[in-house]
Amino acid sequence: MHKLQNLRFRTAIGFSLIGLFVFFLSNVVDEWRSFQGATVAVYVVAIASIILLTGYSGQISLGHGALLAIGAYAAALAQIYAHLPIWLCFVTAVLVTAFFGALLGVAAARLSGPYLAGTTLALAVGLPSIASQFSFLGGEQGISFSVGWPPLSLGSDFTQYKWFFWIATIAALIMMWFVRNILHSRYGRMWRAVKSNAVAAELTGIRIGASKVLAFTISSGVAGLAGALLAMITNNVSPSAFPLALSFSLATGAVLSGVNTLGGVMIGSLALVAIPEIASSASHLWSGSENTAMLLPELIVSALLILTVFLAPKGPIEKLRARHHR
Amino acid sequence: MFQFINTLLIGITAGSIYSLMAIAIVLVWRSTRVVNFAQGGLALASSFVGASILAREISFWIALPLAMFAGALFSALTEYFLLRPLLKRSGDKGEEIFLPIIATLGLLGIIKTILNFTYGDRIGSIPPPISDRGFVVSGQVIALSPMRVLILGIVLVLMVLLTYLFQRTNLGLSLRASSYAPEISRLAGVRVDLIRTAGWAISGAAGAAAGILQTTNGSGAISPESFEFSLLLVFGFVAAVIGGIESLIGAVLGGLTLGIILAFILMYIGGSLVFFSAFLILIVILIVRPQGIIGVKGGRRA
Repeated sequence: MHKLQNLRFRTAIGFSLIGLFVFFLSNVVDEWRSFQGATVAVYVVAIASIILLTGYSGQISLGHGALLAIGAYAAALAQIYAHLPIWLCFVTAVLVTAFFGALLGVAAARLSGPYLAGTTLALAVGLPSIASQFSFLGGEQGISFSVGWPPLSLGSDFTQYKWFFWIATIAALIMMWFVRNILHSRYGRMWRAVKSNAVAAELTGIRIGASKVLAFTISSGVAGLAGALLAMITNNVSPSAFPLALSFSLATGAVLSGVNTLGGVMIGSLALVAIPEIASSASHLWSGSENTAMLLPELIVSALLILTVFLAPKGPIEKLRARHHR
Repeated sequence: MFQFINTLLIGITAGSIYSLMAIAIVLVWRSTRVVNFAQGGLALASSFVGASILAREISFWIALPLAMFAGALFSALTEYFLLRPLLKRSGDKGEEIFLPIIATLGLLGIIKTILNFTYGDRIGSIPPPISDRGFVVSGQVIALSPMRVLILGIVLVLMVLLTYLFQRTNLGLSLRASSYAPEISRLAGVRVDLIRTAGWAISGAAGAAAGILQTTNGSGAISPESFEFSLLLVFGFVAAVIGGIESLIGAVLGGLTLGIILAFILMYIGGSLVFFSAFLILIVILIVRPQGIIGVKGGRRA
């Protein structure tokens, strides 16, 4: 009991420190960096949802981009048609995506390995494209989603992107708190039991199907929030914002973070945002050709993926931990 | 009625190409239990080989086998240098099908950047070797053209060759044995590692053929960022999963089913629903039969 309380205490301190750090950071950086900071927060939430699903419950999803799309559209529709206050739009996004995730999870729980990978891949390709079929979803142009200007009480020089950065960070911290707790709860243990040995888990009385559906539902809800946050920082929701490449880069981020450790989530998110930036400035210094600047990020990310899979298949954090214990 | 038959013909042609891609994916799955997401990229690279041979005024009938040979080579190299060390490292734990997927996604990115560096914005072209104007039946032009007949013919010949290879040759027997029971095959003197590479090579050749036929059946042009090849991968994979991912016949059935249904949706409902329908077809079939049309149920529990 003492150990548990100690752990809780340490996490609370850790979360507050991250919050404080971001607070100070947001005061010193410019608009572009604030935008990037908000993007990192979005990726943190999205990657956490993949880690919950893949790393803990053992189900593969290559289609999380589609779940982000559901969340983004749900938030925007809640704002346009129901005129909900902004925080309720985010809640709507979570609930609606969790609902769709539950439906999907019922199908997914019957599938495994390549079947599940194929289904989620087809979802990632198929779902965003139906938005152009329905006029209330705004077709190719999409629909707008706006959280409005920062409140005046924060001061007149409080910029729009700084406001996004704050909202995204606070939402990400709340979500990470929630995900962390649920992974340490009996549900988290249940998922890990099912993942590591389904038959043994069934013998101890765990209902495998139900546990998988639950994991899919919760992961979808978290992904829905990421989608709504993504819509917030781009002010718009359109099919082209959720290409197959988004789903792939989220999977990439999850691997770079380490699929089995929630703690690594910052590494993957930072990498996804920082690598294109570093690569483009490096190639400008180096040759200055437009073509190289466009191609270098993809090359670096791809090479990094292969290296990670070989050198640290369980993620950088597990790698360090293993070295520490040796 | 006329439109119905036309749609059916378009669907069968497209479906036969998806079948070929699905076969490529099934072969890789059977030999190493890996879903190869670089399959589309490998097919693209081999199609570029084909296009650059064609650009030297060399006949299509030489370019196609050479491209297939290049595809086999690329694919075998991928298995030897990427997947074999990876699978050795991670051990044969079935749990992590995620890692190979990520590794092949990384390879896909590398292939694309290499193609982009070498070809840049230049677009390769694979024009149809024979007329792609439809036959005229009782005064109306139907969707079946000499080129489409040729595509169906090539796919059919390749399938007959594959069936012969798998059923009647020693290599085919070793391929089947080492995917069914690798340890026992090893004891029986089959060089399983070599056979796995061979499986990948055949898959690469099938993928290259699918890539070239897809290009001639479509716009005739390829670029490093070609969307058609991502589609080929996705539809090929969906077809393989529908068919039960283990079975070659299943892959063919899955490809044809997908091609025909999608052609009808494109013709009668609308283009924007095509991708979503692919998902719906997949999920409906998998809810009824989670192991695909031709698949073995629950062999690997416990």
